[in-house]
Amino acid sequence: MSVTLPANHVVDVAAPTIRAIGLRKAFGPIVAVDDVSFELGAGRIYGLLGPNGSGKTTLIRLLTGLGHADAGTAEVLGIQMPSRVTLGRIGYMTQSDGVYPALTVAENVRFFGTVYGRSEAAASLAALEVVALADRADTVTANLSGGQRRRLSLACALVHEPAVLFLDEPTVGVDPLLRVEFWAHFRRLADAGTTIVVSSHVMDEADRCDDLLFVRAGRVIARGSGADLRARAGTTDLEAAFLRFAGDGTEQR
Amino acid sequence: MSIRRIAALFRRVTAEIRRDRPSLGILFIAPILLTGLVSFILRESQAPAIAADIVAPAGAPATLGAALHVALVEGGATVTDISDEAAARADVREGRATLAIILPANPQDGLLVVTRGLDAPGDSAQIGVVQKALQGSVSSITGATVRPVRHETIFGQPTDDPVASLAPAIVGFFAYFFVYVLTGVSFLRERTGGTLERLLATPVTRAEIVTGYTLGFGLFATLQVIVLLLWALGTVHVPAIGPLPAFAIGLGIPAAGSPVLAFLVVLLLAVGAVNLGIFLSTFARTELQVIQFIPLVLAPQFLLSGVIFPVSSLPAVLQPLVGFMPLNYAVDGLRQVFIRGADLGVGALQLDLAVLAGIAVFFGVVASLTIRRDIV
Repeated sequence: MSVTLPANHVVDVAAPTIRAIGLRKAFGPIVAVDDVSFELGAGRIYGLLGPNGSGKTTLIRLLTGLGHADAGTAEVLGIQMPSRVTLGRIGYMTQSDGVYPALTVAENVRFFGTVYGRSEAAASLAALEVVALADRADTVTANLSGGQRRRLSLACALVHEPAVLFLDEPTVGVDPLLRVEFWAHFRRLADAGTTIVVSSHVMDEADRCDDLLFVRAGRVIARGSGADLRARAGTTDLEAAFLRFAGDGTEQR
Repeated sequence: MSIRRIAALFRRVTAEIRRDRPSLGILFIAPILLTGLVSFILRESQAPAIAADIVAPAGAPATLGAALHVALVEGGATVTDISDEAAARADVREGRATLAIILPANPQDGLLVVTRGLDAPGDSAQIGVVQKALQGSVSSITGATVRPVRHETIFGQPTDDPVASLAPAIVGFFAYFFVYVLTGVSFLRERTGGTLERLLATPVTRAEIVTGYTLGFGLFATLQVIVLLLWALGTVHVPAIGPLPAFAIGLGIPAAGSPVLAFLVVLLLAVGAVNLGIFLSTFARTELQVIQFIPLVLAPQFLLSGVIFPVSSLPAVLQPLVGFMPLNYAVDGLRQVFIRGADLGVGALQLDLAVLAGIAVFFGVVASLTIRRDIV
């Protein structure tokens, strides 16, 4: 695996890369995101942890400007979303694969690369090498396995070397060995200054994140490192910690 | 065979359809709507609006002209008596009159009816009215034996095979139909496959998406139209080979005008269809539902654009709708080009092209507005 360090990064630890201010979003009677505020800094991996339907995807969509918040604002790289310019510096791996089945692997990456302004073949190849799909470049995407499509989806989010990376359930369907490599790569990107937000409902991935945000019923009920959250909940098990915070109601930081 | 398993399948199938409200609605509403519309058109189609010039050359039987005048006016037509045949023909050409009736100098000859010739079914309907007037009151008043009328057209040939008038309409309709289905299904995949969401998280603009789609599907629409036009206009004679008799490929329709203009008409129609497909895909959740819009969106256009039923004979209530049918302008434009040989200087063709372009732009804007619709 080769790593290309993003060239356009400004690592400013003082200013938050992502800022949510009182975000709220309801679908009819269901409040998917309920008054969420936080600040996330550069070069770290953040984990949005919570059960299915807790509002993680909606939160990501509000942060990327894809969704329109009922109240509150989202800022990425210091610019209020939605901003087309900022979208060019964001990578977004959707929960569904979001790749074109009739195109080849290389064509998919090339397409998204071009849309982001990175049409050179080298950028596509580098992204495919990260997800170990370079040897399948000419395979038609429909013929890939589920896990391979997931990897292609990640490559499409990485091709333009974004400063901020939103990954919605990135490791679903990815085999354990590759999962380890994925996380190693996320870590390398973060070390180079990329802000990474990973949503997951799998607690065993949580410890790979620098900072965890427990999400339940549209609210961030707790935030901290895995060790910190365990200590505060008085348990050694992250799942038990989640349940403890969920039972307490709202501890928000 | 297990009754229980069959029952489970039965329940599953009915539950699925029950929850697919649009499908369910179209299953019942579309057939009623369409058969109702067709029946209404057939039953209530009105006598075509006739504005007739009656030309009586020297020596023509005056009683015949007068009787025909009265009979046509009684039938609701506007009738002008005119002495100059050339002026009458000019009236028809310019649309001031829908037909000119030229009385024969010799009573033994039938009279001559001149129509524009752009709308063969509409022309036939008018000639029917004249025939009826002749056979009814006119023959009883004059006591003369009614000769069959002779028919001339300003544009094209009246004796052309029925395909000649139908072909422009059919070319337009199929181009519209297939481009709509292709785009609708393809854009629906974009919406349901998650690629649209991903695309919208990039710096791409909605206008860029719609334009890209228009160009992409426009290319295939272009190829389709070229093939269709070659097929409609061309004839390739294949000589007899051994036991195989000689035959011809292609419809061999005579075209008076430039195929390039015909192409332009269909292309503008097709661009409108691309954007209509994007727009309607918003309201579909499955590919089946894209297909289900056909009876609601395309079938009325087929019925109300003069493809089969002449626009002039449609029931009065439906007449105002004709102006809203994109296909109507394409059918008219193609007939202007094919039959009339219209060039860009002809006002009617200019209007058709302008309206088609306007419709394409309108649906382009509407389509781009819907692109964020499902991302609330």
